[in-house]
Amino acid sequence: MGGSGVQEGGGKMTVSVMVVDDHPMWREGVARDLAERGFEIVATAGDAASAVRIAKAVRPNVVLMDLNLGELSGVDATLMITGELPETRVLVLSASGEHDDVLQAVKAGASGYLVKSASADELVEAVSRTAAGDAVFTAGLAGLVLGEYRRMAAAPDDSKDKPELTERETEVLRLVAKGLTARQIANRLVISHRTVENHVQSTLRKLQLHNRVELARYAIEHGLDSEPEAER
Amino acid sequence: MPKLPAERVTKVIDDPATPLWRGVIALRIVTFLFAAANVIANQSGYIRPWLAWTTLGVMALWSVFTSRAYSTTWGRRWPLVLVDLAFTCGLMLLSPLIMSDHQLLMLNVPLITTIWACVPAVALGALGGSFAGFAGGLTVGLFTYLSKGLPGLDLLRDVVLLAGAGMVVGMASATARRSAVLLAQAQRTEAATAERERLARSIHDSVLQVLARVRKRGLEVGGEAAELAMLAGEQEVALRNLVAAAPDSTVDGEIDLRPGLQLLATPRIQVSTPATQVMLTAGTAVELHSLVREALSNVDKHAGEDARAWVLLEDLGEEIVLSVRDDGPGIPEGRIASAAREGRMGIEKSIKGRVESLGGTLELQTGPGEGTEWEVRVFRKGAAR
Repeated sequence: MGGSGVQEGGGKMTVSVMVVDDHPMWREGVARDLAERGFEIVATAGDAASAVRIAKAVRPNVVLMDLNLGELSGVDATLMITGELPETRVLVLSASGEHDDVLQAVKAGASGYLVKSASADELVEAVSRTAAGDAVFTAGLAGLVLGEYRRMAAAPDDSKDKPELTERETEVLRLVAKGLTARQIANRLVISHRTVENHVQSTLRKLQLHNRVELARYAIEHGLDSEPEAER
Repeated sequence: MPKLPAERVTKVIDDPATPLWRGVIALRIVTFLFAAANVIANQSGYIRPWLAWTTLGVMALWSVFTSRAYSTTWGRRWPLVLVDLAFTCGLMLLSPLIMSDHQLLMLNVPLITTIWACVPAVALGALGGSFAGFAGGLTVGLFTYLSKGLPGLDLLRDVVLLAGAGMVVGMASATARRSAVLLAQAQRTEAATAERERLARSIHDSVLQVLARVRKRGLEVGGEAAELAMLAGEQEVALRNLVAAAPDSTVDGEIDLRPGLQLLATPRIQVSTPATQVMLTAGTAVELHSLVREALSNVDKHAGEDARAWVLLEDLGEEIVLSVRDDGPGIPEGRIASAAREGRMGIEKSIKGRVESLGGTLELQTGPGEGTEWEVRVFRKGAAR
């Protein structure tokens, strides 16, 4: 197992992948599917704590993350992995329609989301695109992200750093949520395919940045409030 | 009392006014001490000191008895509290026999029962609410007047204090009972939710994983396995939606529109919603839900078996936006209008009619090869238009 991320393999870049899922049958199945399609499976993990530990050691290009992992959730693991390893991308693979969980994972730094019922081809494409730095947006995720921006806009606190969508980003997200492909969106809005991708990625980045700032602020406030002796 | 500990515990918890009853008992003991001090201070002037001491002894016994009774739910009942009221008032009426006229009318010496007499009024409040407490206070006040036989400002003050105290305790007791009911409801809901989550987790960990795997491998193997895979896939989506859909939560007649919509999802139909509740009046939610179902069945009928569909729910605060899009061949221009002319009012009537009755707007975007997209905008009731 190579420790470094992207490796040269016959002139073609090999994407190293780590599969995190608490269900052994699923974990092995996905790992085999991906290995058959030329991905390098560098590690698997069955719980969030070991996922974080192993990810730090093997530094994979892509982590396929299940959210339902027991005590420490996939959301926590996503936050830790993307915080520690800026080069590693996390793709959430979720079996149930846990809407809030998926949103939390994306806010924590996941760059995409795929339902487990997706076909092997869809999975392969999603992993490749994630490795290439694209955001893998399903219609469902677009609906969640749109809802989150609107929830924040409607929230009573009027902090200045609240992220907002531009008109174009809203337009793009709505079309993604209505099931249009990036190409169809590009055609309809008469913009390039790349621009569509950039808009989509930007909506995620703003959300993730805001989330990190909020978490840091929360930690500082509560660290000072609850443990004054720590200052001594 | 031969009661099982468990039964006792539940009984005491069952009565949310228990702290008030403890207050009643404390009041009874404190006021009895005051009454005893009153007898000691004024006995030299009494015309029948022996009756004063006897009455005080009866009051002591009655205090002990009612305190024991009021500390159980057995004793917190109308008959006992009313007997308490009658008994206390009866003792109060002994005052003219004990005290001299001079004490009673000139010196303004307290009656034999003194402020001990206020306890039944407070107990009535704790038992029956503010009206019962008020009435109890008035009754005690009335008997104070009957015992003294002379109206006056002091007497009026006592009556107001008694009735007021009874009423305030009554309100507190009613509030405690209401809160207890609400708390019990909340606890039941919480227990149901926890159980639901436990079920969801175990279904997720077992059945869903297997179904998803079967579907995936079956499709890859192909042939007959692919058919089985399709069946497994349909059940997987249905089960996933069933597990994910939160129970209908009703807040002031409003329900969350999301769970109903999420149940419409199939492998070919994607339903996208916000992660937070979208609360609407029940009537509006039901109408919108039927409308989406109508639009989706229209997809099945006209866009072909392989067409996929997407439902998007957006909450803009004052406005709800629902979009239903399919990737079918689209509705040729004039089809809807000609269908209306021919009297086949399917879409026209169901969708347009429903939207109009909700005071919303409907936009249809379609064309050959472009699929069909319905966008419904409905204003929230109460929101400014």
